[in-house]
Amino acid sequence: MNDRNRHPDRNRPPQGNPGPAADGFSDGRLVEVHSLLAREKEEPREGFALTPIFIVFLFCGFGFWGGLYLTRHSGNFASTAFDVNAPKVTAATGPVEFEPDAAKGEKLFVANCAACHQATGLGVPGAFPPLAKSAWVAGAEDRLIKAILVGLAGEIEVNGVKYNGNMPNVGAALKDAQVAHIATYVRQAWGNTAGPVMDTKVAEVRKAIGTRGQYAPADLLKEHPLEAK
Amino acid sequence: MSQENRPARPSGRPPESGFARLSRTESGLRGPFLCFFASAVLWLVVASVLALVAAVKLHRPDFLGACELTTYGRVTAAARDTFVYGWGFNALFAVNFWLMAQLGRFEFRNGWLATLGGATWNLALTYGVVQIIRGELGGFALLDLPREVGPVLLLAFLLSALWSVVAYARRPGGQNFVSQWYIVGATFALPLVYLLAQLMVLWFPTVGTVQALAHAWFVQNLLFLWFGASALAAAYYFVPKILGRALGHYYLAPVGFWTLFLFAGLGAPAALLGAPIPIWLQSVGVVASVLGLVPVVVLAINFLSTLSVDGGWSRSWNSTTLRFVVVGIVSFLLFGLLTAVCSTRDLSATLAFTSFAEGQVQLLTYGAATMILFGASYFILPRLTGSLWPSSKLVHVHFWSAFLGLLIAVGAALVGGWQAGQQLATPAVSAAQVAAQSAPWALAGSLAALLLLIGHVAFALNAFGMILSSTTPTSDGRSD
Repeated sequence: MNDRNRHPDRNRPPQGNPGPAADGFSDGRLVEVHSLLAREKEEPREGFALTPIFIVFLFCGFGFWGGLYLTRHSGNFASTAFDVNAPKVTAATGPVEFEPDAAKGEKLFVANCAACHQATGLGVPGAFPPLAKSAWVAGAEDRLIKAILVGLAGEIEVNGVKYNGNMPNVGAALKDAQVAHIATYVRQAWGNTAGPVMDTKVAEVRKAIGTRGQYAPADLLKEHPLEAK
Repeated sequence: MSQENRPARPSGRPPESGFARLSRTESGLRGPFLCFFASAVLWLVVASVLALVAAVKLHRPDFLGACELTTYGRVTAAARDTFVYGWGFNALFAVNFWLMAQLGRFEFRNGWLATLGGATWNLALTYGVVQIIRGELGGFALLDLPREVGPVLLLAFLLSALWSVVAYARRPGGQNFVSQWYIVGATFALPLVYLLAQLMVLWFPTVGTVQALAHAWFVQNLLFLWFGASALAAAYYFVPKILGRALGHYYLAPVGFWTLFLFAGLGAPAALLGAPIPIWLQSVGVVASVLGLVPVVVLAINFLSTLSVDGGWSRSWNSTTLRFVVVGIVSFLLFGLLTAVCSTRDLSATLAFTSFAEGQVQLLTYGAATMILFGASYFILPRLTGSLWPSSKLVHVHFWSAFLGLLIAVGAALVGGWQAGQQLATPAVSAAQVAAQSAPWALAGSLAALLLLIGHVAFALNAFGMILSSTTPTSDGRSD
């Protein structure tokens, strides 16, 4: 293994100051020297410590920038975000589209309405009118929404029975979507078969009636008469 | 340039006498190495001719335009594939294997297996290139060889290249050198990437943009982890070997190695900025491309600290091998820098769809990989053939043609691409005006292609003169 003497540039006149190392490494020596270098620390010399510190700071800087960039320009890692200039995706803050959900409505109903109307929707005879098979909750959505939002006070006839009711403005403290869930539940539970109610409809009605006290049932009927069955 | 007048002959000198004496490692290597190397050089000349034709067509579309076989699309694809798969792969097989055998003291006994791999590779590639010229080319750059060639190339790759892993596994003493890591990494990365790309793009095409992503990932890995890593392995070997000095800040080399392999593939989506792929993928590509500066900084520290001590630069200039290798190193560093800078969204939006990306690729495949391979052949061939480079004039012609050709080709592609990008972004400039303005750059590209062809013919003449005049090596140390 006579590597050193087989160097193709062997015969050129030496340039610079030819030290003992200037002749080039043999392959074995090359591997050996670098293995040692990798295993052991270099001898400390002047200025030696600067490079590693500079490198560490530089590479940390790269990493920091990379993190920032990914946070800003990743579109929340959504598979549907394609444009860096697109408006912020609303997916993170809530569902884009409202879906009336009777199951959610049931929970809200139990918490807010069942004290009077009962979980069965049958009310309490002589005190609270029933919702099951009531013409008041079917038909026009506005009537039901208005009743939930501001309440009713006065004589009311439900399914042929008269009540002297005083319903508080339960819906005032609820969000549009919550009111819509409750209304949907009421219109579809206990054998009721009316259509669902959207949150946009609730918002519309809430805006239209502004701030006002409870409806008298007769006034509400003037705005939205009961539909014939 | 003043060093040109020095008395030193840049051409390689033979060993001490005309008498060829090969070490055990080298005698087993000789056959396969020369087989790969000779095919590589032939492919290089073919690729240069095709590239010249393609370059001329850019400013004189009617040149050879009457013949269907030599239309622009086919010639360009054939030039690219012959250069990458013909020259690049064959030469890298040879040089990688030589390096691993030397560093690991590997005595190679089953040379016929590697030669079989080489023959398979070149036959399959010839078939593929003929099919491309006949018009049977695919739509993905660098995967445009006919589909059926893929598995054959993969098999041939395994037969040809896995010997370097064997040489690594059998190295004595468990000692390690950075070149060995890079070659082992490259040899493992490429077949995996090629297999996945073949499956996802050609055999079982994935849906929609995933295909484009897989293709970009393949190209990125091919460039960085096969061409880049193999070229770096050779550079890491020749610089300390010839200068006779240990690499500076060698403890950083593992950082460079691992970060290169980590970030290279992840940076692929940066090539698709603005494409309909999810924004987070594009951003990951941008971040990985910029973090690709980490290995570049490490490489710069390693090489520049080794070269700048004790007259290293002038000594490199006077060694034919190192002269090429240093050009290659500088090209690689520039390439890394450009890749990081141009992956940012603003610049990418300007430079997309211009010749800029082509210039970047050429900086890597030609400026870095090919230059380092040339340097390696000036070192290795005299040892294996035991004869002189026939003409030192041709060595000079080779270096200067290749160097100037590289400068002009890359410069024209980058500057021309930059200018076209600016104009394309200006609504007042019509597309016809942009095309007209780019004509001088296309002309410069042809000049560069001509220079490269001259250099490569000089190299081929020299190399074949050397191989043919070499005596059959009689070796004391021969084991069989």
